[in-house]
Amino acid sequence: MKSRFDVIVVGAGPAGSTAAYTLAKKGFDVLVVERGRSPGSKTLYGGRVYAKPLKEIYPEFEKKAPIERWVKKERMTFMAEGGSLTLEYSSKTSTSFTAYLSKLSEWMASQAEEAGAVIVTDVRVDSFLKEDGRITGVRAGQDEVRAGVVIDAEGVNRLLLERLGWVPKLEKSQVALGLKETYRLGSEKIEERLGLGKKEGMAWFMIGSATGNIPGGAFLYTYQNTVALGIVVFLHKAVEHAQQHIFEYLEELRLSPPFSNLLKDGVLVEYGAHLTPELGLKLKPPRLYGDGFLIVGDAAGLLLNLGYTVRGVDFAAYSGYLAAQAIEKAGGDYSARSLSIYEDMLEESFIMRELRRHVRVSKLMENERFFTTYPELAFALAHRLFEFEETSPTFLEAFRETTKGRVSKLRLLLDMLEVARGP
Amino acid sequence: MTIQQLKKLKVDEALNANVWDVDEEPHIKVDFSKCVECDTKPCVRLCPAGCFTLLDKEVLFSYEGCVECGTCRIVCPKDAVDWNYPLSGRGVQYRFG
Ligand SMILES: Cc1cc2nc3c(=O)[nH]c(=O)nc-3n(C[C@H](O)[C@H](O)[C@H](O)COP(=O)(O)OP(=O)(O)OC[C@H]3O[C@@H](n4cnc5c(N)ncnc54)[C@H](O)[C@@H]3O)c2cc1C
Ligand code: SF4
Ligand code: SF4
Repeated sequence: MKSRFDVIVVGAGPAGSTAAYTLAKKGFDVLVVERGRSPGSKTLYGGRVYAKPLKEIYPEFEKKAPIERWVKKERMTFMAEGGSLTLEYSSKTSTSFTAYLSKLSEWMASQAEEAGAVIVTDVRVDSFLKEDGRITGVRAGQDEVRAGVVIDAEGVNRLLLERLGWVPKLEKSQVALGLKETYRLGSEKIEERLGLGKKEGMAWFMIGSATGNIPGGAFLYTYQNTVALGIVVFLHKAVEHAQQHIFEYLEELRLSPPFSNLLKDGVLVEYGAHLTPELGLKLKPPRLYGDGFLIVGDAAGLLLNLGYTVRGVDFAAYSGYLAAQAIEKAGGDYSARSLSIYEDMLEESFIMRELRRHVRVSKLMENERFFTTYPELAFALAHRLFEFEETSPTFLEAFRETTKGRVSKLRLLLDMLEVARGP
Repeated sequence: MTIQQLKKLKVDEALNANVWDVDEEPHIKVDFSKCVECDTKPCVRLCPAGCFTLLDKEVLFSYEGCVECGTCRIVCPKDAVDWNYPLSGRGVQYRFG
């Protein structure tokens, strides 16, 4: 292999492969180094991707990408000890799809390869090469490869950036831990049991006792022939509250109705876990560029967690796309000053706009009542409204009775105002 | 293959569904001398692959089922976990990630 390229990309996730694809199309000589046996073999997420940013980057994306189902049904369930309350949204249209991240990453890498990028798998990068104060390439074991500029797309566990001293060690308050089981069920059973049409998918979010006594949430996504069920817990909260092994929480969810019925006769085909940046900008390094390098995707902390859904893949891919454009604009001068246009471009894009618009959602998510008290309250209210013996309550009576002792009226009012203020 | 059962799976049973290519060398090393002084031992409850177990108050670690998530590296309060990814593509091989 050559020992010098225009650009080296570390990591073939959505961020890295999209950067490589965009650069290769512009005629750059690009090397992508991925530690997995194939791109995607080390990635794991929940299940749904918003399509618009990807359509802008990849021509004929909807036709060519490994899309499993278009999400036409959304469910949100408040789970409590005594039962649950579910909201369902159905639509004739859809802006998001389900896909296996393993397959989607592999597809993106194949697009980069077709465009002329060199993809090397099975190689773990151990450190960046630093010469005269600037990044000049990467080191893997005994091998060194150099480039004009390096793109760091290593994902949430930023070992390379930590070793470089660019970011401090990851802290448990900055991440959430996700666990996911995938069951093969067959498309017919999936469609029948969830009331879906062919190729129609569901994204289902659960909150409350779905994660036992640990603040977090749970998810269910439908692929063509399989269903994924998972939990995501704030890691520092899990350290504080977990009373049993974390896998048991997922198993308890799986064995609770309606999931036990829904997954009946399913065959477990995979179980995995992954970390995710927790609250918006908390993980973003002060600068996403330096002399000879740029940072994209999860490594850059560019992920929007809205509580009921996570936007990581489209953000990651789009940041890779912008990094590629920034490199073209830099015109061969890869000093920090010249590469700083990447951050300007991010600022102007939907990525930073969205992340800023939703900083308050992150604040709301630090409020434990949203994960414990309120789901319980939602269920209790519905319980009082629907399950009466003789005297049917008015809504106001039901409301008064259920909030009593659970939360003060003022607290509730303040929290509701906080939500109502919007992003 | 594990057909959905109406009893709790053990984490090892769930991990059996995965495709693996386990490295001969452990990619994670634990300094057990530090574990003796660790009263909360969060790794035992939070490693999603159950790689950390307790045997008579002693912590045992086996890297074989590791899914490379990085949790143990972050939750360990004693800095006892020397953490890295496996070399050259070894470890878990996600197909449905
Ligand atoms: C439980 C969970 C649920 C999620 N749900 C969703 C969802 O429903 N929708 C959504 O849009 N997003 C979701 N996300 C977020 C999404 O997965 C990430 O934002 C996205 O994968 C980030 O892409 P990336 O390319 O930055 O990093 P990754 O996808 O993590 O890719 C990093 C790549 O770099 C490689 N690598 C790392 N270090 C090295 C090294 N030293 N040498 C060589 N290669 C290396 C890795 O093997 C990997 O292939 C979820 C995440 C989790 C954990
Ligand atoms: S958390 Fe760290 S120090 Fe404590 S038992 Fe686990 S590995 Fe040992
Ligand atoms: S990296 Fe994750 S799966 Fe591996 S030992 Fe640590 S906590 Fe367990």
